[in-house]
Amino acid sequence: MTLIWGGLALGAVYALVAVCYNIVFISSKTFNFAQAQLIMVGAFVAYTGLVTWKLSVPLVMLLAVASVMALAAIEERLAVRPVKDPHNILVTTLGVSILLNGATQLVWGTQPLNVPFFGGNDVLELFGGQIYPVEIALVLVAVVLVWALTRLSRRFLVGLALLGMSEDREAAMLRGVNVRRLAFGAFAFSGAVAGLLGMFVGPKTFAVATLGASLALKGFVVLAIGGFGSMPGTLVGGLVVGLAEALAARYLGGEYANITVFVILITILLVRPAGLFVRVRERTV
Amino acid sequence: MVLWRTVRAVPGWILALALGLVLLVLPWAGLDFSASRQIQLTLILALVVSGLNLSLGYAGELALGQAAMYASGAYIAGLLSKAGHTDILVQLLVAGLGALAVGVVTGIPGLRLGSWSLAMTSFFLVLLVPDVLAIFPRATGGRNGLSGIQSPTLFGTLLDGTGFYLVISVVAILWFAVLRNIVTSRHGIALRVLKQSPVLAASTGISVFRMKLLAYALGAIPAGLAGALFANLDLYVSPEAFSFTFATTVLSASILGGSASVYGALVGAAVMQFGPNQSSGFQQYALVFTGVFLVVGGVLLTGGLARVCRVLVTRLDRMAQPEVNTVATGTGPAPNIPPYKGATLRIRDVSKAFGGNQALKDVSLEALPGTVTALIGPNGSGKTTLLNMVCGFYRTDSGEITLDGAPLHGLTSDGVARAGVARTFQTPNIPAGVTVLEAVASGRYTGHRTSVLAAVLRTPRFRRVRHEDLREAERMLALVGLDHLRDTEAVSLPLGMRRLLEVARALIDAPGVLLLDEAASGLDEHEVERLASLIRQIRDAGGTVVLVEHNFRLVLALADDIAVLAHGQLITTGPPEAIERDPRVLSEYLGVDPAPTAAHTSTDRMTGAATSGENT
Repeated sequence: MTLIWGGLALGAVYALVAVCYNIVFISSKTFNFAQAQLIMVGAFVAYTGLVTWKLSVPLVMLLAVASVMALAAIEERLAVRPVKDPHNILVTTLGVSILLNGATQLVWGTQPLNVPFFGGNDVLELFGGQIYPVEIALVLVAVVLVWALTRLSRRFLVGLALLGMSEDREAAMLRGVNVRRLAFGAFAFSGAVAGLLGMFVGPKTFAVATLGASLALKGFVVLAIGGFGSMPGTLVGGLVVGLAEALAARYLGGEYANITVFVILITILLVRPAGLFVRVRERTV
Repeated sequence: MVLWRTVRAVPGWILALALGLVLLVLPWAGLDFSASRQIQLTLILALVVSGLNLSLGYAGELALGQAAMYASGAYIAGLLSKAGHTDILVQLLVAGLGALAVGVVTGIPGLRLGSWSLAMTSFFLVLLVPDVLAIFPRATGGRNGLSGIQSPTLFGTLLDGTGFYLVISVVAILWFAVLRNIVTSRHGIALRVLKQSPVLAASTGISVFRMKLLAYALGAIPAGLAGALFANLDLYVSPEAFSFTFATTVLSASILGGSASVYGALVGAAVMQFGPNQSSGFQQYALVFTGVFLVVGGVLLTGGLARVCRVLVTRLDRMAQPEVNTVATGTGPAPNIPPYKGATLRIRDVSKAFGGNQALKDVSLEALPGTVTALIGPNGSGKTTLLNMVCGFYRTDSGEITLDGAPLHGLTSDGVARAGVARTFQTPNIPAGVTVLEAVASGRYTGHRTSVLAAVLRTPRFRRVRHEDLREAERMLALVGLDHLRDTEAVSLPLGMRRLLEVARALIDAPGVLLLDEAASGLDEHEVERLASLIRQIRDAGGTVVLVEHNFRLVLALADDIAVLAHGQLITTGPPEAIERDPRVLSEYLGVDPAPTAAHTSTDRMTGAATSGENT
């Protein structure tokens, strides 16, 4: 059971990365390669705030949200907006992710840092398994975030405008939606969410400079399983990837964890290229 | 300037060959060990980069998996060597094939979705390398690396340092010759068509998936070769050499040199090898530097150094060119189209719904050889939907579409194109970076096949097909009056000429059916005239033409049969004289309700008004 809890929490982390991908994807049909690195920076900022500076939790939270949001905003302005050829956005956001990897190594070093969780570090017993408070928190955060974002997009004008924009950018523009500002807003918002998530993800995975790459990939696999743009899909995808990774590592050996996830990704892409929760849209000329 | 003209008169490959020869004689020109090593590493890197260029620059798909294929090449060669097979040729062959296999197997799932799917699956592949190695620690040395590789031999003789330098140089020269032959052939143009738009590629009969896979898999070969060479250079292979950092170095070199160029890979690799990879004090900042570089490169350096060179060459060309005052306009007697056999397109009871929106309902239509069939109707009446269903971009809900009795529905869009349906687009769709002549010739890509291997070896068959390609394309250009622009870059043409170019491209392979989607919109009077006479010629030659058009006057003048669509249903079909007077057509399409008494005069007036209205 301990294994299941661990897998679930891991899955929640990946699902959260995928949620962030989705926020940007829905708003501007772009894919931010550096999203996981933003969460990683959030985790590092949380470490600095909580351990080095010994600040209070709300203050650190504010700090993490603000700093990562600023990073995301800068990224949008410098590495996404000026790019003319949409193909190149993959290259520039990949550049940002490498840049953040390198910068965090310079600032925080290459050793894993243990980020304390503000909810306590005492092991709990649940249904015959052991679980850390942060793991419960991760699963809760993932579910609540997906629920809130889905509601936001249906109930509020901003959300509707975003959905409209993802459907047809020009039509949204003609309806008076400031597409550029909204895309920028969504980018910055995804940064803010990433900063907040750093507080939760850090305690589970440690803050380490190699965190970004593995989060980025697993988040992508989650997205591929759930379908691009589907918020509920991220929860299912996270569940699958997290459990598969935990089980493979336990029963097949550590080196099989990534390979198992890769096999799942390949299978999904071959069987249902659009993911489980998105209808295939027919192509138009 | 005279000097420049002389230089330009020399074919480009001579320069490359000269560079290759310099490379080969360098060891006898007092090359010291460290410089020699740097050159060998540059060549190895350049091989990997050129593989990436095939998929990123030419097929337009970002792939990071080259590092994994490089790794497989290196380990295959290392293991072969340990097993006693030290002949470098055997190792190169097996490593190339092994990398190709890895490329094909891992490319298939990622390429089905393209774009980030491929980027991510290939990225994942790179991160899996150490895991895979760790599973076989006995054979591969796991994370400690593979040691005990023996010195390479060639035909039984042991290769010394200079000998191996020559092997690397020869492999690199040969590969770049192969790449150059592929890129400048019709396959290279087909790749550019694909990069421009998958829809366009499918409409010229190119299977998008297979073409992408071809580029990605071909790109694996040089990576595998490079891996084998690398393993024999140091006689030691460690997983760290194939890390994500290596993948990003490759990407940086590709972008720096220019992804859509052959020799850009070499330049980019040289800059990366002699620059960032050189100084060890720099290591710490390498990631930051690479990141910044990718951002700046992606934003500013579209096309890389190769583009800078190309712009420079064009400018010098223009300066060196003697001033031409009179531009010959193609008003000479246009050649005739030789008679050919069009096909009968039959659409029977076709329906299509998008969700709750019934876009087409029980539409039937017939287009016969030697006739022009026009499809008219107000915006949103389903004309383009019908066209897209014929082309295989949409599936039919019910009903059937046949070409000379053979069913088209159910075929993929590229299959439909190969069956003989050619089309033009509402917005002209023309690949970047090719000349007008090449753009037109690309219409023959699937009709007259030659293999990639034939292109690499420049076989007689390949030469013959290429000769025919160019001759036919020239004939088509003369036909549409663009022959004086044959060497201009195709995308730089004004709208009207781009439309005519599309017609030429669609017509070049004598298609069974030619679908013209609003070919006349945006044309000036002369161009409309030219188009009209061209369409008449096609019809008289026996071709089948389907015309989707808003220019009512043009339709009345050209069509033998007019089908009128409204709200997804066919309201009437008939010859122009009947359609012109059909009250339902007038009310649906022209939005007028002709008064029964003054029908004739008001119709004429309204028709005129509507036509000019549509033209604006």
